[in-house]
Amino acid sequence: MDHPKGKKISRRQFIKGAATAVALPHLLSLDSIVETPLVHAAEESDLVIAKSGSPAQLLQAAMAPMGGMARFVKKGQRVVIKANIAWARTPEQACTNNPDLMMALIKMCYDAGAKRVAVWDHTCDNYQFCFTRSGLKDAAQKAGADIFSGHGRNVYKQVDIPKGKKMKKAEIIKDVLETDVFINFPIPKQHFATELTLGMKNFIGIVWDMEQMHRIDLHQAIADVNTVRKPDLVVMDAIRILTTNGPKGPGKTEDIGEVITSTDIVAADAYAATFFKNPKTGKPFKPEEIKFVKHAYDMGLGEIDLSKVKTKKVTAT
Amino acid sequence: MTRTILFLRRLSQAFFFVFLVYLILHTAFPLDLKIPVDLYLRLDPFIGIITLLTGKEMIGRMLPAFGVLLLVIIFGNFFCGWFCPMGATIDFFDRVLFREKKRSKAFNDQPLRRLRYGLFLFALAAGVTAWQLLYLIDPISLITRTLVISIYPPAVFIVNNVIPRIQDLLPRNSSFLSTLPLPLFKVNLFIFVIFIAILALGVMRKRFWCRYLCPLGTLFSITSRLRFFRRSVTDECTQCQKCVRDCPVGAIPQETPQHYRQQDCISCFKCLECPPKAVSFHLERPRWKTGEPVSLSRRYVVGSLAFGFFSALTIKTNPLQTESGLVNNRLIRPPGSLPEEEFVYTCTGCGQCLKVCPNNALQSTLLEAGLAGLYTPRLVPRVGYCEEMCNFCGQICPTQAIRDITMEEKRLIQIGVAHIDKTRCIAWDTDKICLVCNEQCSYQAIIGDDKKRPIVKEEKCTGCGICENKCPVDGEAAIIVHTSGVQKKLTPEPGSNGNGKNSAG
Repeated sequence: MDHPKGKKISRRQFIKGAATAVALPHLLSLDSIVETPLVHAAEESDLVIAKSGSPAQLLQAAMAPMGGMARFVKKGQRVVIKANIAWARTPEQACTNNPDLMMALIKMCYDAGAKRVAVWDHTCDNYQFCFTRSGLKDAAQKAGADIFSGHGRNVYKQVDIPKGKKMKKAEIIKDVLETDVFINFPIPKQHFATELTLGMKNFIGIVWDMEQMHRIDLHQAIADVNTVRKPDLVVMDAIRILTTNGPKGPGKTEDIGEVITSTDIVAADAYAATFFKNPKTGKPFKPEEIKFVKHAYDMGLGEIDLSKVKTKKVTAT
Repeated sequence: MTRTILFLRRLSQAFFFVFLVYLILHTAFPLDLKIPVDLYLRLDPFIGIITLLTGKEMIGRMLPAFGVLLLVIIFGNFFCGWFCPMGATIDFFDRVLFREKKRSKAFNDQPLRRLRYGLFLFALAAGVTAWQLLYLIDPISLITRTLVISIYPPAVFIVNNVIPRIQDLLPRNSSFLSTLPLPLFKVNLFIFVIFIAILALGVMRKRFWCRYLCPLGTLFSITSRLRFFRRSVTDECTQCQKCVRDCPVGAIPQETPQHYRQQDCISCFKCLECPPKAVSFHLERPRWKTGEPVSLSRRYVVGSLAFGFFSALTIKTNPLQTESGLVNNRLIRPPGSLPEEEFVYTCTGCGQCLKVCPNNALQSTLLEAGLAGLYTPRLVPRVGYCEEMCNFCGQICPTQAIRDITMEEKRLIQIGVAHIDKTRCIAWDTDKICLVCNEQCSYQAIIGDDKKRPIVKEEKCTGCGICENKCPVDGEAAIIVHTSGVQKKLTPEPGSNGNGKNSAG
């Protein structure tokens, strides 16, 4: 911690989270992955799972043990949020991010002193229909953020991917490459081709030629693109998830009511994978069963074994 | 006073042209303008009459056109001189670029004046038979089509290339904004050349198109002969010939400038600029008599009609035409279109649907639908697909060749069916996982087998073409939408209606 200002805020926010943790210890111990002693919480966690509460409360609770937003966003910085606005679906259909959660996230960035927050996505359906139907354009603008669509090639920049195994070059959204803070804001979904859409797969939406990734080797290409820029923070929107007919739906949805924050995208994906049942085994997915998560782990992008991740479960209310 | 009137006319022309451009620019998402964006076409009595004659039912949205016709009958033809954006364009180019060449000798334009009626009768006979030629040369449809197909895309190109260079000067930095999607139309140059050719005719005569060819002008000529608002000339006329030279439509005969062809007059009031101030306009008792009338012989009338009738029959019996029984399986019509034969007959080819289509999916035909189907819209999935939550083309179609359907209806209309070319499909041809088509499909019509290879479920496929559009194979896609030429209604499946009500559990 080399920034005293940030520490101050983070502690206060932490106390809030810790207070709830003390108030409801029985809830915490029910299915927590790691037994988290309270003393440990003084350090920042790598993966926080917040349950039960409004979207804003969930985010607040999930960010506190991470050290608060001030740990990631400093005064005057530019923030890019990569949301999932890929389809022209309504928020209830859970194919796109929760608008309330997005508003809370943008506000939190501004409260931490962000100069500008921009929400980006390269949509699959027509961007105008996606932005309006998902309610995310309104949400972003109400919270004071810019919302940008990647439908024009002019906003991309060709970069080499030196760490990439199969995808060696890609055109990536310039703003994502150049911004001070990059927040990945995915929504986990069932996905027929790759089994699941998780945090790493959200990166497809920063690439110009998305469909070509299918041609290369989708799983490896997803892992490769994730080496371009590590997100400073992952905020996973698991308030409601799509469990069938993914990724576009409409299909069955499930209200998980969780917000997961992490600095380790592989760990976040490994955790989110367990929300879904593997149709072959009938049991929840093991992280290794999602090939792009496994590839990313093999490439050293993060930790797939959740027992090795400093995890914390909190309740928001 | 005269000057004010002439200035007002220029102002009116400029305004109505700019307003047309404004409406065309707003013929786009989110389509929330209070004024109908196809207003100009709705005000075109010509389109109104034809839809009345051809349609089985009166089309409510064309009612304003009959109001215009009534005004023309009473006050004379103010439409061409004051309102018509095509006329305004021609006037503008007659002034700046294609100036009328000076002639030493007067030339007799009687044959050309007859041609106008001949063309009108020809097109009328053709229209009654099968070939809606009149729509193709209707000025409002023509200028709308030209602006949409030939002028708008280059304008977008210019904007996209200029803004990045000047963005530092703009109040809001736009460097993060994606450029506008560039619309692409195959027939753009063809339509542009025709348009320029029409303008260039001005070299021969001012408003050549208006006085000798335009079918809408002909209709007004026929209806405004008994106009109340008439020109009168006093004895002070000195035969100076100024009004004869100035009249943009040549409605004033050289020998007898006191009389004029009131049916050809477009009420521009240029003749008011009379040196002895002998000319004035008043409300008067209508007269059928006119100066130097066009004499149409019986032979001319019958010949024009017969020629039109047989031309239409030759077009009808062409194998490109659907009536021939041959189906072009790539001629995919937008959802809600009338049955092909009626569609070709009702569509004015104005191009509004091409403009409003958010994905540039609708393309103008050249010969794909036969000559009778010239400039009609068709879906070309490789260029763009039919957006699931969009029914804009039906909303703005002035003649309802594309019906204004609800979103629920639209989602159940099958305009075609996707077919997989297994020899080229990535998943079928190699061991890679692709399934772009499956993930993009809005209707869950593409499922994967146990090896994650795509299979089309015909009973769910609407033919929107998103799969063909997004297929990552180079060149022609490995999944292609074909149509049987008939739009079918799919049976709705409970629980997949896409309106978000099925989200429990």
